[in-house]
Amino acid sequence: MNSATDTLALQNLTKIFKIKTGAFRHADLKAVDEVNISIAPGRTLAVVGESGSGKTTLARLILRLIEPTGGTVLLENTDITALQGTALEARRGRMQIVFQDPYDSLSPWQTVGRTVAEPLILHQNLSMQQASEPVARMLERVGLSPEHAKRYPHELSGGQAQRVGIARSMITNPALVVLDEPTSSLDMSVQSQILLLLQSLQEEMNISYLFISHDLTVVRYIAHDLAVMYLGKVVESGPASQVFASPRHPYTEALLKAAPRPDPSYKTDHVYLVGEQPTALDRAAGCPLYGRCPIAEDVCADTPQQLVEIEARHRVACWKRT
Amino acid sequence: MTPLLKVHGLEVEIEGLPILRGVDMEVRQGEILGVVGETGAGKSMTARSILDLLPSAATVSFRVCTFGGRDFIPAKERQQARGHRIGFVPQRPRGSLNPVFRVGTQLSDTLRRLRGMGRREAKGEALDLLRSVRITDPKRVYRSYPHELSGGMCQRVCIAIALAGEPELIIADEPTTGLDVTIQAEMLKLLGDVIIEHNAAGMLITHDLGVVADVCDRVAVMYAGRVVNLGSTDEIYRAALHPYANQLVSIATSLDSGGTPREIPGRVPNPGDELAACAFAPRCFRAETDCFEQEPPLVDINGQQAFCHHAITTEALPL
Repeated sequence: MNSATDTLALQNLTKIFKIKTGAFRHADLKAVDEVNISIAPGRTLAVVGESGSGKTTLARLILRLIEPTGGTVLLENTDITALQGTALEARRGRMQIVFQDPYDSLSPWQTVGRTVAEPLILHQNLSMQQASEPVARMLERVGLSPEHAKRYPHELSGGQAQRVGIARSMITNPALVVLDEPTSSLDMSVQSQILLLLQSLQEEMNISYLFISHDLTVVRYIAHDLAVMYLGKVVESGPASQVFASPRHPYTEALLKAAPRPDPSYKTDHVYLVGEQPTALDRAAGCPLYGRCPIAEDVCADTPQQLVEIEARHRVACWKRT
Repeated sequence: MTPLLKVHGLEVEIEGLPILRGVDMEVRQGEILGVVGETGAGKSMTARSILDLLPSAATVSFRVCTFGGRDFIPAKERQQARGHRIGFVPQRPRGSLNPVFRVGTQLSDTLRRLRGMGRREAKGEALDLLRSVRITDPKRVYRSYPHELSGGMCQRVCIAIALAGEPELIIADEPTTGLDVTIQAEMLKLLGDVIIEHNAAGMLITHDLGVVADVCDRVAVMYAGRVVNLGSTDEIYRAALHPYANQLVSIATSLDSGGTPREIPGRVPNPGDELAACAFAPRCFRAETDCFEQEPPLVDINGQQAFCHHAITTEALPL
């Protein structure tokens, strides 16, 4: 399934956190459980799931902000989980992140110019002076003016601050940008401005996006491919249009049915899943959705199902739907 | 039919900055009114003015404010109604419960204060209320501390507390923000159901047009401290008169249908910014000189109201 040209390929990526449950007792929390996904250049893969599904842990593993328990992360065919020291630092400029909260992710003490220049200073050993021209160009590219370089974050609106975050992430000309809910704290009229900007930057620079979100409306628009996560496992993946048109995993179905749509004649299905999401600690041995799933059978309780390809590139891990 | 709540010409100023600049809206008996708008539009401030929960630095004035036929302008009237006749569901459920008291204590204390119940009676009623918000094991939840409950469960408890005074109106301020999609859907259904079951009306503040379409009968669209468009949900989504409301809906629907998102150029003004006669004029594709110079008139077509010089009165969308 992976091809040599992929920007990013994850192979059985796993992260287990040891959780203290007593004085001498630990439990294993599988935050990310054998995830295999890949992104081609210039494409967007959206990772969708609710809180506790492991999407943020996945992003941190990919950027190697935390160490995986197992599996590999191939960034442009280099296994970055094996890199150390300067070799790793040299790769860091190729992968960047845009955070959810635009203000929290900018230093209040630094000017916008300094913030955007930082990756160049760090990864390409430029001086502040050498960086100033590319910074000005980048600011213009994201819809700000070079004048903004002198401003501080508190002088910016939410949309402008997020543009700064995007400029910072793109200035090293990265191969991969992780977008962690980049529009969820923005107002709707601004949200669409940012989506359009991200899309045109992708076309221009051929960047791959890993787009983390729980907002299916936004995902529907921006994603080429989709991976749905539940309690650390990818339960369904495939071309976004196909997954949206015919979701196969009951959890994907539930997510789509529960999302309210801006259409008064549309009837949201309010209670499709039973009960609340457990934590990854108390998850069933078989399917993670077991216990909430309306179509589960005995086999689902203790035998995990692997992702099975049901149509071209459309994979689902469900005993009942494969 | 006289509306349950009628607000006319509501103005709020904080340290000289105008926050609300003449809000007009009404909530009818038995309906759920959605209040939508972007950050800083004044949605929460409107709710807080009605509940008299504004910071002390704020000065409030109404031209008209009545609730169930009573004059609601004196702050004392509004204070007395809070909790009793008007229930409030907050935005951050866990943050608004007291972390050091059990949920049951907080609920039964509310009942004892609002309805003068004795200790035992209050406990019985509290358990009934927890049951009425579809909590399957009310005794366990009654004994729990907020940190032991999930976000969705805390929100159920907050809805139960809002119901404690047998209110005629429930104001919910972004009740599902921060909840997961599947929990959000359950919560909206619950809120809609309990409002009907308790013969109350609702005011739902949100920035999510999907949420409004799901549960609201009518919508008030706010911009820069004013309601600019008010009408039935169907009408507003089909053909909003005000260009701002119209574009907001078309952004949401274009995204939803997988099309290219439309954008509104510019940004929402901050309090204290100098505003044109119509605050939306600088961002509006229909604006002409009159929009900058003269107060926009009230347009009323088939019960849908908008303040606009150039309301979109034809079916065809000009975008």
